[in-house]
Amino acid sequence: MRFFPTILVLPLSLVAGLPAHATTDSADAPHVHVQLVVPASSFNRGEGADAGLYFRIDPGWHVYWKNAGDAGEPPHIKWTLPDGIAAGPLEFPAPKRLPLGPLMDFGYENEVLFPFNFNVAQTAKPGWVLLHAKVDWLVCQASCIPGKAELEVTRGVSEHPRRAVLLSTDEAIFKRLGGRLPRPLPAGVQAVFQPTQQGFQLSINTGRKETEAAFFPADTEILDNPAPQTLEPAETGLVLDLKKDANLSANPTELKGVVELSGGRTYEIAAQPETALKAAVKNLKAALSAPSPAPTSAPSPGVNTAPISPAPAPTAPAAIAPSISTPPQPAPTPSSGLGLLRATGLAFLGGLLLNLMPCVFPVLFLKGLSLVNSGNEKRHELRTHGMVYTAGILVSFWALVAVLLSLKAAGAILGWGFQFQSPVFLALMAGLLFFFGLSLAGQFEIGLTITGAGGTLARKQGYTGSFFTGVLAVVVATPCTAPFMGAALGYALAQSAAVTFAVFTALALGLAAPYVALTLQPAWTRLLPKPGVWMDVLKQAVAVPIFATAIWLAWVLARAYGADMLLALLTSFLLLAIAGWFLGRWPTKRWATAIAAVILIGVVAASILAPRKLIASSRSVVSSEAQGAWEPWSAAAVTRYQSQGRPVLVDFTASWCLSCQVNERVALDQPSVQKAFQDSNVALLKADWTRGDDAITQTLASLGRSGVPAYALYVPGEAQPRLLPEALTPGIVIDAVTNLPKAATQSAAAASNPK
Amino acid sequence: MVSIIRLSTCAALAAALLSASAFAQDVRVGAPAPAFTATDSHGQTESLTQFRGKFVVLEWHNQGCPYTKKHYVSGNMQALQKEWTAKGVVWFTVISSARGQQGYVTPDQENAYLAQMHAVPTAVLMDPEGKLGRLYSAKTTPQMIVIDPTGKLIYDGAIDDRPTPDPEDIRGARNYVSDALTEAMAGKPVQTAFTRPYGCGVKYPD
Repeated sequence: MRFFPTILVLPLSLVAGLPAHATTDSADAPHVHVQLVVPASSFNRGEGADAGLYFRIDPGWHVYWKNAGDAGEPPHIKWTLPDGIAAGPLEFPAPKRLPLGPLMDFGYENEVLFPFNFNVAQTAKPGWVLLHAKVDWLVCQASCIPGKAELEVTRGVSEHPRRAVLLSTDEAIFKRLGGRLPRPLPAGVQAVFQPTQQGFQLSINTGRKETEAAFFPADTEILDNPAPQTLEPAETGLVLDLKKDANLSANPTELKGVVELSGGRTYEIAAQPETALKAAVKNLKAALSAPSPAPTSAPSPGVNTAPISPAPAPTAPAAIAPSISTPPQPAPTPSSGLGLLRATGLAFLGGLLLNLMPCVFPVLFLKGLSLVNSGNEKRHELRTHGMVYTAGILVSFWALVAVLLSLKAAGAILGWGFQFQSPVFLALMAGLLFFFGLSLAGQFEIGLTITGAGGTLARKQGYTGSFFTGVLAVVVATPCTAPFMGAALGYALAQSAAVTFAVFTALALGLAAPYVALTLQPAWTRLLPKPGVWMDVLKQAVAVPIFATAIWLAWVLARAYGADMLLALLTSFLLLAIAGWFLGRWPTKRWATAIAAVILIGVVAASILAPRKLIASSRSVVSSEAQGAWEPWSAAAVTRYQSQGRPVLVDFTASWCLSCQVNERVALDQPSVQKAFQDSNVALLKADWTRGDDAITQTLASLGRSGVPAYALYVPGEAQPRLLPEALTPGIVIDAVTNLPKAATQSAAAASNPK
Repeated sequence: MVSIIRLSTCAALAAALLSASAFAQDVRVGAPAPAFTATDSHGQTESLTQFRGKFVVLEWHNQGCPYTKKHYVSGNMQALQKEWTAKGVVWFTVISSARGQQGYVTPDQENAYLAQMHAVPTAVLMDPEGKLGRLYSAKTTPQMIVIDPTGKLIYDGAIDDRPTPDPEDIRGARNYVSDALTEAMAGKPVQTAFTRPYGCGVKYPD
């Protein structure tokens, strides 16, 4: 009976207690309504709890950011809390620039939530606790009015951990505004600054062309606040010219603050001074750390000068990145000032590194074996082999450049890795690697039997063999090169044909270099061990990374095109294994070779034909699934919803666009995102560009885009739609639709709650 | 030959520096304070050059601003004016509020205010066009500037280290103006020569 009160009365008194403390958790002062927002009705010991200080502000008035700018003061809060409960500092969303005559302030209009955290220690006493705060603020229009209030809320501390009941009004405010804090820069993206005569030049390599940027300094005495911040065009990020405060005598060791980019993306940055050496290291690092972060659009959106367009999915891993990592996409691409020399240098280094990639290493390894075998050949013959191998690589790269350039000239939409948008390419690639892996693992000897495939040619004695080893190196390197080369190629593709050519040539030479070095320096070939059993062991070991790569490609396919596609791919693997078995079991029999050849041709044909069918069916599945949410796009539909005062999101997509598919699966079609759409009453329209459509093309052009993916959010009261980034995460989308101006959300709320 | 080159380089550098400072509009601590001439609330013309040899304090003022009120209602500003003018400091209160804006007053209104508040600046400079304010990049009321007897700007910023409108916060606050004047009069460098001024934005004409 003793525990009766704590068990039963607690929830009861909670309900009963609500009106009592509702009177003091908020205050109305001139031009502001201020409120403590603590969604959880009870706290668990040893845990934190989200909370915030909320201001609703009269139109035309504003409260201030942590650096208020030329005048003004941020809000402050002082707590009186029971033992065991501590409150963290107020956190500040990105502010707006608020000009006041010749002065510039940083602050918020309409409404703002400053989130903070309660920390509840294990030692906190269970039962009711009173959380008491003294709050002061300054609210200004032209004139300023300081205000203060004492606010308090009562919450429970649970004896045993349990899930807190959320108070709906507080929860609603927190949900709407709690996610607006600036994020840390995504991994790989760096902010640096260089002193200039007037101030600083801030560079951030976000991986896409930035068309809007504002920097808010955390320190109050660093910048000349009202001075315009000039955004210089940069292909893969932004360069912002900032004017320093006249009284600033020494350059800061870092430039801290918040940067706001188009689409409401805000990041917390601490830019480091950039020296020439650091710049070089940064670019190299960015290029090398490629696989995890992703160049969303190596060449930038076709906003203006860029001759080619958004490069929807530069690489398969790029497209998939959003599903694994929550921070928004941008990429570690070299910063804007990537000069020709640096780009070619980088490309050469990159080429060298490719030799170590799991896809390329086996090829080089085969070459190495042939060197060991041909140890007795004459020097000049070795040298010629090296040259021919280089030629093979060069020709393949040049062919690639030619294809890229001609497609670019024809106005096609692509970026590096465009081939990864093709399920046919992915399937063939996976098949080739799997088959190659089987051979390495020892199921059969490629060289002895099949004719026609690159692998065979590569093993052929003579110069043709060397040439095709080069070609094979390039072909199998592609899965590994795509992410890596995003940087250099993003640069190259946006340049003239000559520059593109130079960069690719440097890359090719880099890839060829180690082998050529071996052939040119016979002294080094002597270092190679003698042929023996170890060669077989090593060859089999190399099959492991090859299979791993095949698994990765299979995952990419399955991720983008579903289980049916995976089934087809695995079936083709089985067929390939059977073909391999024939080749290995009866290596000298013609009929066995013939059977294997038939199977191979069948697999290749199926890889080319099947994906289209499968995609068609998977698309129809998706569209019937999503029918409730998405309507087909038409300009009229947009106008209709706009006239109803509803926000409209248009998804410009195409079934061949891998990153579109990924975005839809990992972000747009997620339940949490769909719920956010419903909450904000967003009308959803899908513009399918799979077969091309003039109306869509024109709309895209008017948005400054020339390809998909593109996501346009039409906000009531705004003439131009907002564009979301090309790589979406649930967070980005939810932020975007919960970020709508008051008028929009109000009418949305009214529309969704007609009662 | 070498020395000629060196000389001409020096000359060119000097010329560049000179022209740079001539064109720089910014007010900077450690640099000469820009000269000005203004009319005070009694119609007298005051100019900075006539006070060479004395310390000069500029105090930006807006009687409607809560931050200015903090220092006047509490008597803090008047006490400072009394203390330092007694030590030979020239104290100019500057009103840069534009006509129709908060803090704008006619000379008569200002004189009445001075009497009512027992304020004792050397003079109140009427700057409704904001010329003096802009010349000194004054951002807030109160913003304080201290100029030494050689005409060099030695302090620019807040009045003290408590950026609040609450008179309670004056006690125990570190007053930057008093510190700067005390240090400079003792022949010492000013420790804190530049701070972020706090208060209401100066109400310049649009």
